[in-house]
Amino acid sequence: MAIKTQTVVDPFAGAPQRFAAGVLGMWVFLIVIAMLFLGAIMGYLVVRLHPDPAEPFIPKGATGLPGVLVFSTIALMASSYFMRLATQKVRLAQWQHAHAAMSATLVLAMVFLALQIIAWVTLWRNNIHFGDSLYAWTFYVLTGLHALHVLAGFIPLIRAWSKTARRAYSPEHPEGIVYCEMYWHLLGAIWLMLYFTLWLGMRT
Amino acid sequence: MTTINLSQPLDTTVRPDNYLTHTSGFMSWAFTLDHKRIGVMYMVSVLLSFFVGGVFALLVRTELLTPGQTIPGVTADVYNHFFTLHGAIMVFLVIIPSIPAALGNFIMPIMLGAKDVAFPRLNLFSYYLWVFGALFTVCSLLLGGFDTGWTFYTPYSTTTPAGGVIAALTGVFILGFSSIFTGLNFVVTVHKLRPPGMTWFRMPLFLWAIYATAIIQVLATPVLGITLLLLIVERAFNIGIFDPSMGGDPVLFQHFFWFYSHPAVYIMILPAMGIISELISVHAHRHIFGYKFIALSSIAIAIFSFLVWGHHMFISGQSPLLNTLFSLISFSVAIPSAVKVFNWMSTLYKGNIVLNTPMLYALSFLVLFTIGGLTGIHLATLNTDVHLHDTYFVVEHFHYVMMGSALIGMIGGLHHWWPKMTGRMYNETLGRVACVIVFIGFNVTFFTQFFLGSQGMPRRYYDYLPEYQIYHVISTIGSYIMALGFLLTAYYLMASLFGGRRAPANPWGGGSLEWQCSSPPPFDNFAKQPRVGDCYNFSAIRWDEKEQGYVVDPALQASVNPNLAAKNSH
Repeated sequence: MAIKTQTVVDPFAGAPQRFAAGVLGMWVFLIVIAMLFLGAIMGYLVVRLHPDPAEPFIPKGATGLPGVLVFSTIALMASSYFMRLATQKVRLAQWQHAHAAMSATLVLAMVFLALQIIAWVTLWRNNIHFGDSLYAWTFYVLTGLHALHVLAGFIPLIRAWSKTARRAYSPEHPEGIVYCEMYWHLLGAIWLMLYFTLWLGMRT
Repeated sequence: MTTINLSQPLDTTVRPDNYLTHTSGFMSWAFTLDHKRIGVMYMVSVLLSFFVGGVFALLVRTELLTPGQTIPGVTADVYNHFFTLHGAIMVFLVIIPSIPAALGNFIMPIMLGAKDVAFPRLNLFSYYLWVFGALFTVCSLLLGGFDTGWTFYTPYSTTTPAGGVIAALTGVFILGFSSIFTGLNFVVTVHKLRPPGMTWFRMPLFLWAIYATAIIQVLATPVLGITLLLLIVERAFNIGIFDPSMGGDPVLFQHFFWFYSHPAVYIMILPAMGIISELISVHAHRHIFGYKFIALSSIAIAIFSFLVWGHHMFISGQSPLLNTLFSLISFSVAIPSAVKVFNWMSTLYKGNIVLNTPMLYALSFLVLFTIGGLTGIHLATLNTDVHLHDTYFVVEHFHYVMMGSALIGMIGGLHHWWPKMTGRMYNETLGRVACVIVFIGFNVTFFTQFFLGSQGMPRRYYDYLPEYQIYHVISTIGSYIMALGFLLTAYYLMASLFGGRRAPANPWGGGSLEWQCSSPPPFDNFAKQPRVGDCYNFSAIRWDEKEQGYVVDPALQASVNPNLAAKNSH
């Protein structure tokens, strides 16, 4: 009897089972990321709601959140929309549309990051420096943490973008782009929550 | 009569190779995707860390033999580094990964009847994250060490001059993600890879425990991650939300930390409870009593774990209302814990108990966990906690739970599955002797600390009043006895690898699926999909002299379950 030399054992009975497991795995992963941001937001709320009586939370000279954040929010939401569109088109095997939608997603994601950088620069120029106050510290840390996750999201985005170009998905096997979409929507949702929290934090 | 029961056919067909011999060479291990090999690599790493953490424990105990300096050169400052390292290594590098990542990785997919975990590559990635986390923690020693205690409480952790704090925090952050990915993998595996017939309530109780643990790992550990991240930024830039001089709140750190670290205690104890359910049922050769209650109590403990963190902070100045609530909810943890203990005792009742090494560890667990659990009540009670907080009473309590229960459970499980993992039997007599030595040593070490604690000796102190010395001396002697027991264990386990008797497929008479494949298992676990029955029904399993192990007796099986016997005869 010949000894099998195969060392990688496929734990799944078939592709549908693998896909279902992948989707569940992504859901659990999304919960992990969500818990991370929930923790950060809770921390922000605690220091925001119990400020030092001697020192106001919002320092003098801070005039509110940078207005550019409105546009970055729109960019990220639009990017989420095109991501959704791309997945739909892959399922319909409309490759050109799928690739165009992926390109739009990617460009809007870059626009989002660029606008975030503009927001930080604006704040910095207004003398809101990282180490000066908790207001600045929390703003840079929270938005920075989110931006890092967006930046990491470029890896699956670029992969999905190139795979739609090569038509490497099939309507029956859209796995990669589906996982990518799940992650991308989560980042959009977290940004909305974060933005709302920061906006709330500016009310006195 | 030594025979007992069983429900399943054993697939003891001799296969040409097993997972250890299937491929060879360093690379075949370093890049393996086989859950069994990854489990073994975890086990070796965890046991090495256990040795290092144990050395620091002995250093701490030796230093405490006399008031003031005992070991030449060990100043109060060095002593702080010692107990910090002991705690951090034992918690983050040993106990948390010991059962889920090491034993769980090896046993869980086989028990489930699966060929591997759902994401084998992620599994290997988790292991390397563990290695990197451990390396960072070691690097922190080169950078000046850390003396914050394993809890990293602010504001001390942000202001201490010790140079290795950021490296240690980064290490623990990485270890946290290792734990998260293991948990993620296990949740998906249990949900998606159960074979036909393995319904939720047919899963072995170890799997229920691992599943409950995995849920805690993915929900609680990210909060530790963000906490450590915020702490790292704060320490690096000297400002942050835990810094009171800027309107931050150091107690917030305690809330964050215990929101993870109290569930983490259950990450440690739940899998051990799962092991005990297996050990007691298999070695008493009796159907587990109250299966559903044990299974659901694991889930109940997992849920409670998120609601009790404040009991670590009764004297931190949190509101009396919160204190009362946390105290109340903490008491209710006693209910699912007691459900388990009573069910285990009922399983033992009229069982055909064989007092071999795994069973001795299981019985030790019952004693030690009961003591550890009951002393928790003193600490959950608001007024007694004010007196006992931060004393040796707390040290005693959590060692009874984390070491006496979680670690003893792990070592019991290691003995239980050792024949399966290595294909060799260890010296049973030495095993029993070592277990008794560890049990005695443990109690001498930690029971003594009740007296120290209730008389007011604070934990983590380098120096103490002469009246405490006698207890410290007894406690230190106990720790040496325990070390002896563990060294003996290490000796006979190692010796078994070279000269041990070949293990049969089913040395103990277990009914769950891992006893259906050969020892050691083949690389793909099962040549054909195993048939799933009641894994706690031992009625058709009997001892076979020739096999020197347990086998399914078709005659017995026919009398117990004619349908299954007919199916198996095909």
